[in-house]
Amino acid sequence: MTLVITAPVTGRVVALADVPDPVFAQAVVGPGIAIEPDDDATVATAPVAGSIVKIHPHAVVIGAAGDRGVLTHLGINTVQMSGEGFTVHAADGDTVASGQKLIDWDPQAVRASGRSAIVPIVAMQAEEASLTMLAQAGDHVTAGQPLMEWADPA
Amino acid sequence: MAKAEKILEGLGGFDNIVEIEPCITRLRVVVVDPSQVQDAVLKAAGTFGVVRSGSAIQVVVGPEADTLAEDIEDLR
Repeated sequence: MTLVITAPVTGRVVALADVPDPVFAQAVVGPGIAIEPDDDATVATAPVAGSIVKIHPHAVVIGAAGDRGVLTHLGINTVQMSGEGFTVHAADGDTVASGQKLIDWDPQAVRASGRSAIVPIVAMQAEEASLTMLAQAGDHVTAGQPLMEWADPA
Repeated sequence: MAKAEKILEGLGGFDNIVEIEPCITRLRVVVVDPSQVQDAVLKAAGTFGVVRSGSAIQVVVGPEADTLAEDIEDLR
């Protein structure tokens, strides 16, 4: 079954290669896309339905059908903020629906701290060819809007 | 634990490690001597990849980063 990955935040679409972090930009975790969040994009939602493999204040991995892991990372180097300004609304192991609110945060506060607030969305260890982009760099997307499709690894 | 031991070996052992910090899918490691870090050993340990920037080494391991960081500390 093709997995539709929705935008976890509202903002402007950016190519993953343009994310200011070598691990994401070089797709070491996997291929994907990124969103530069709007100033008022303070809610991060689940990009897919599934169970939460790991949730941190600044990042979440959801395991979807077909053993497909989707990583959403709120900002770059935000692990250094130790959760300050982030409120988590789910826990490891929880079953979540696509579009469900997972984390409240403040992109403006992240930028004010000197960090990038960009949000990479990564299809973990996916084959590049199995991903179809439904939005292009420069597009403005709303949280919950389809962003990309991940073909069944079958 | 075998995986943690392999990663520790690939990083050049505790003598070469200044700090290890897990971040959702990666281990952020500061090392004494980057030349003692063996990418091939880290790859063979089952990691996704290694990104280097001077003495800062990032080992991408997937969502088990927290557990692996603890396992490595337990080897001390």
